[in-house]
Amino acid sequence: MKMAAVEKRRQVVAPAASFADSSRPAVSRAAATAESEEDFLRQVGVTEMLRAALLKVLEARPEEPIAFLAHYFENMGLRSPANGGAGEPPGQLLLQQQRLGRALWHLRLAHHSQRTAFNNNVSVAYECLSASGRKKKPGLDGRTYSELLKRICRDGEAPEEVVAPLLHKIQCRDHEAVPLDVFRAGMLTCFVLLEFVARAGALYQLLEDPALAVADRRVGQAVLDTLEGALQASDAAAVPARFLEAGSRLGPDSLALAMDRALVARRPSSPMTREEFLEKAAALFIAKVKPVA
Amino acid sequence: MSRVSVPCHVKGTVALQVGDVRTSQGRPGVLVIDVTFPSVAPFELQEIMFKNYYTAFLSIRVRQHTSTHTPAKWVTCLRDYCLMPDPHSEEGAQEYVSLFKHQMLCDMARVLELRLILRQPSPLWLSFTVEELQIYQQGPKSPSMTFPKWLSHPVSCEQPAPLIEGLPDPSRVSSEVQQMWALTEMIRASHTSTRIGRFDVDGCYDLNLLSYT
Repeated sequence: MKMAAVEKRRQVVAPAASFADSSRPAVSRAAATAESEEDFLRQVGVTEMLRAALLKVLEARPEEPIAFLAHYFENMGLRSPANGGAGEPPGQLLLQQQRLGRALWHLRLAHHSQRTAFNNNVSVAYECLSASGRKKKPGLDGRTYSELLKRICRDGEAPEEVVAPLLHKIQCRDHEAVPLDVFRAGMLTCFVLLEFVARAGALYQLLEDPALAVADRRVGQAVLDTLEGALQASDAAAVPARFLEAGSRLGPDSLALAMDRALVARRPSSPMTREEFLEKAAALFIAKVKPVA
Repeated sequence: MSRVSVPCHVKGTVALQVGDVRTSQGRPGVLVIDVTFPSVAPFELQEIMFKNYYTAFLSIRVRQHTSTHTPAKWVTCLRDYCLMPDPHSEEGAQEYVSLFKHQMLCDMARVLELRLILRQPSPLWLSFTVEELQIYQQGPKSPSMTFPKWLSHPVSCEQPAPLIEGLPDPSRVSSEVQQMWALTEMIRASHTSTRIGRFDVDGCYDLNLLSYT
């Protein structure tokens, strides 16, 4: 009788059932060898689940692994069909928000410089968003894609005026189906722009006059002009020469010279606000982004 | 600097000697080698290269094209160039020698013909000559010789930037700006070939592209 119960338990797949069972005294432990525990874990899918979780941890190398894992399993719960099907069917809007949240979470797992991991996560996010649509229409529509871009930019704490031109450039129309490649390029551009804006913010802090808490317009403009020059002058050149030239133009010496010249020039000093600086810097970046065609 | 070998014809050595060569007991101390360039237009000589064989001193005369009317004149372009510091000893006797145009006494443009005059005052050596003679002219300039300004006139490191009081730290500014540049370059380099399939231009469709079916 008890043997049969054990056998039954080993075949049950639903995790909930197995947790309930585990409180029973396992009399026939001797009979059910150590191997059976391993089998059980494998059969209910825990082995695979933990392996996937560990791989994610290794991939993302989070600073707080426990919070990361908690979030991970929370997302797993949202994703599993059992969970979605059992409860009340949530409103369409709520479902959409959940999906977006899940996609965002996947996208943020790896920094964009870890390109393989990032691409993997982009694919997962893409599936997350597209699988949830009606069966008839697989794929992702422009509305969701644009919404996701907006969310990323909003969460990235970049001022709206700064990112608006980018969104305008890479957004898709609501009715359009977004292929994976376009999706990936859009996500990458978005994340890179956010990092760019963060860098520009740090740069602004360097340029800031500590007493006045604003930067001198002449200096700020000189630095931006130098960057623009490095980005533009070499449009035609071959790649290695271009990189060398940019290195030469953006070296400390030539930047110091540019800033120096800007201050020596007899123009009146006027403040340049942080927003303006970021906006101008981002415009340089966005000019190089290829629009969705 | 590139150089191109000039095809030349090296005539046989002519010994200069008082008396009859065959009957005289003493060996000649002077040899003359003529070099002509039958298949080449007058050229600017860049370099003469040869392997010495027991020649102590070398003089070179050159015949240059001046104009079509006046006959070309012989000019001495190298006088008693020492190949062996001590003609009686081995040093320098079998060395490779390169002579460049800036070592010559005259301009080496429009060369028609060369005459090498070899001297060996020491009676110790049975014979002397030069071998493997090669004449070079300047080759075409390689296209990469024109360097961009930023490479040929780099900012000198010694020149300390005249820092105005209150100017931000250039090296930190530079580091941030370079990071921004790298991010922009990354986006510029990444592109997707997938097209989303829009046929309209600024929201307007070309009628010819629309199908009525």
